[in-house]
Amino acid sequence: MGKRRLIGVAMLAALAVTGVALLVTGTDHKISAGPAVTRRLTAEQYRNIVQDVFGADIDLGGRFEPDMRVDGLLAVGASQVSITAAGMEQYDAMGRAVAAQVVDQNHRDMLVPCKPASPAASDEKCAREFLSKVGRLLYRRPLTDKQLLAYVTAASEATRITGDFYRGLSLSLAGMLSSPSFLFVEQIVEPDPEHQGGFRLDDYSVASQLSFFLWNSAPDSMLLSAAAEGELHTRRGLERQVERMMASPRLEQGVRAFFVDQLRFDEFEVLAKDAALFPKFSAQAAADAREQTIKTVLDVVLTRNADYREIFTTRKTFLTPELGAIYQVPIYQDGPNGAPDQWQPYEFPDDDPRGGILTQVAFTALHSPAGRGSPTIRGKAVREIALCQTVPPPPADVSFTEFENNTAHGAATARERLAAHATVPSCAGCHKIIDPIGFALENFDGAGEFRTTENGSPIDASGEVDGIHYEDAGGLGQAIYNNPAAVSCVVDRMSARALGRTPMKEEREWLRTLKAEFEKSGHRLPALMREIALSDALYRVGQPKASPVTRLPPTEAIVTVELLSGASS
Amino acid sequence: MIARSLIRAALALSVAGLSLTDAGAETRHFAISWFAQATYSNDHDCSRGVHPEVEEIYLRYAAKLGATPQQIAEWRKKIMDGDEARDFYNLIMNRGRIDGKPVNPYTHPAAVVDLKMPGLDGKEGFGFDLDGKGPDQPGSFQDPETRQRGVDHNLYRALGCTRAFRGSLESRPTYWAWAWGQLKDSQPAWLITIEGADLNKDGPVSVAIDRAYEYLRSNSDGSPRLDMAYRVDPDPRSRNRFEGELRNGVVTITEHGKLRLLQNPLVSPEFKLSNVHLRLELKPDRTARGFIAGYTPWRPIYWGIAGVGFGGEQQVTGDVPGFYYLLKRYADADPDPITGQNESISATYYIEAVPAFVKPAESESQQVSRR
Repeated sequence: MGKRRLIGVAMLAALAVTGVALLVTGTDHKISAGPAVTRRLTAEQYRNIVQDVFGADIDLGGRFEPDMRVDGLLAVGASQVSITAAGMEQYDAMGRAVAAQVVDQNHRDMLVPCKPASPAASDEKCAREFLSKVGRLLYRRPLTDKQLLAYVTAASEATRITGDFYRGLSLSLAGMLSSPSFLFVEQIVEPDPEHQGGFRLDDYSVASQLSFFLWNSAPDSMLLSAAAEGELHTRRGLERQVERMMASPRLEQGVRAFFVDQLRFDEFEVLAKDAALFPKFSAQAAADAREQTIKTVLDVVLTRNADYREIFTTRKTFLTPELGAIYQVPIYQDGPNGAPDQWQPYEFPDDDPRGGILTQVAFTALHSPAGRGSPTIRGKAVREIALCQTVPPPPADVSFTEFENNTAHGAATARERLAAHATVPSCAGCHKIIDPIGFALENFDGAGEFRTTENGSPIDASGEVDGIHYEDAGGLGQAIYNNPAAVSCVVDRMSARALGRTPMKEEREWLRTLKAEFEKSGHRLPALMREIALSDALYRVGQPKASPVTRLPPTEAIVTVELLSGASS
Repeated sequence: MIARSLIRAALALSVAGLSLTDAGAETRHFAISWFAQATYSNDHDCSRGVHPEVEEIYLRYAAKLGATPQQIAEWRKKIMDGDEARDFYNLIMNRGRIDGKPVNPYTHPAAVVDLKMPGLDGKEGFGFDLDGKGPDQPGSFQDPETRQRGVDHNLYRALGCTRAFRGSLESRPTYWAWAWGQLKDSQPAWLITIEGADLNKDGPVSVAIDRAYEYLRSNSDGSPRLDMAYRVDPDPRSRNRFEGELRNGVVTITEHGKLRLLQNPLVSPEFKLSNVHLRLELKPDRTARGFIAGYTPWRPIYWGIAGVGFGGEQQVTGDVPGFYYLLKRYADADPDPITGQNESISATYYIEAVPAFVKPAESESQQVSRR
């Protein structure tokens, strides 16, 4: 029974994704707009929602399906993934674990707004009160009467079987947490009265679009209330909510999520360094390095609301004692010994080779193999991440032997070894545009520590990007700062994150406007986010192939049967 | 980068208002990353042989305590076969005798019979001529590195033929490897600060040996981390200053005072030396290594060893009460005015240290250590 149930849920989830895509994809609509998308919650979004709805002390106790990066962003890949049967088992386990904690002795008084007449018997009134409240937050819209009835009935039936009201309630909540309506952010579309023949997201889908973009979490109660009142389809109402959300401390959560995605920091989960070669690069150092760069970026774009491009040049950062050892600067603890490392602001002096996130340990270590640095990998990463350019993969039959041999043909430095590629036509084309970028970072070894020599030979850190020559990493940062592609890149990626898909050709004009406004603002990221959040384009969708009203939420089909199987197990 | 670090460190000192030897003073800080008795074990230093395995010593105790040859033979066979010999081990675990009654031998070592195990009689050992009696003093060593004669290092004489204390600078003695392994992760780091006008030239220097607030930080492979930042604990019980000199890249102390550092009571509550001698080589790779020596009270050394108890005696140290008698016998300084028993023993310790950033105790924002 259990297996059948899980497979059933997974299939329904898959159908939901496919169904929505089929229903809303259209190309003959006169308004330029892309398709609606259905996104699977990312691991971070799942965590954020549980924390927002139930509190920070709820343990998830499960694993997430791996995310997929498409066009540079996991946020775009999220609209192209489904859930495997094994993944569904994990969601089911997490849902049950979360639900059990929500109703346990430690939490029920705070999280369940009512008390049953008897803890051993069903109480539909109380169950309804609780399930309607959390259901609205988890589903990002009020439950339909049919949905609510199904969950209340399931809770009552489970209570009857288990003889425990709270157990019954938790099983019903567990079903909600493994429902496709929770796990997938569906976009429900409706005819757009302002553009005849056009379509737009419905009120609650607008709320989710905004919330996942700005906060990387589900809408809060105020935003859902605004959706219920129809405010989000008025310019004034939308502005009021956007301003409120932009002023919230949770904006940092959304900005952080963007940069973690954009900088590919999810790859830290699989980052490994040869401890014999890079003994300072501990797991703690890796975690701190990741956080250092995020803190640096947040300081530029949020705390100081400075020019976004400063992330490539700023000397201001934050360090822990663990990182201080790698940067070879004194970062002293402030608290008692044995206390966790504390972050401290630090500014590299003008003559220091560090400046900008490209010179930080996170970037140089992440874009290096386990045992050495790599101008090629780093150069490619700069092009792809900072400039949003695509570098083709190497030919299938390429041999890396020469490069991996540190002293082949007497070549001591990576620059000398890579010179060999210049003689191979199939390699030269790409290496010509990526290696000179990476050479600027050669003063940082495979774990990001400063060095002046490689195999005893002095390092030449000069390089070039798009015709701009520089002498060192500082010059590279400045060149990226001045490169127009860096501006287009963040505009494209930020809008893709907001849409949950790559912007379409028809949306280029919108992107051009965004870029112009971004430049006008002095490249202030919050201004760009506000502009996107207030754009019609974020809420318009192409014409669906079938009427949206014919589709049904997939939840009801499974809820009653599935919850009862859980209750009796 | 190194130069910049040094400049930053010097600036920090200046800001803190510390008196430097002159305006152009240079300071180097180190965190001690290895600290253990300096041993130089070889094939010719124990003419009566290295002490036997602990089980064999146990059998000797058993004989002294009245076991018959037949019992000894049976126990030996059981030990060899790995069979249980509970009565034997009960006897050994309580091999002390006070008024004829069994007592714990580790807390009452003087109540255990003295097996009179031999000390080391080799010619070479690390250290200094602490008592100044010159090269021909009987029982003294010749230092294998400096070739200095008249070296006083009776701690090595006392323990050098016991298995757990044999080793070299490269192949470290079991006990000290265990002890430092425990200490470095359970007590704040020990710091060395060398200050002089120009540490690339010969000249006078000052040497500070302090305790930090922070523990020694290790790398992911267990090696000590370079360039970590530590704060000096202002507790006067661990503040030590010496005048010295730098010659050919080696720092020595010219005023041989006293050293005191708080330590983890697991090994010993305090580490103390009198008549301190130091030889510390500043290496081109920015690390340092060398030797510190002096007279140290021998009883705390015993209690540190005794703390391992019966399990540790079997697994790490070997015969614990035997150390009591060896240390007592070889103690060579600070005679008790009443009994005449020497209470201190000459000792040399080997030090390795890694470069570190150190915030002086006089700086602002110091807080009291929590543990």
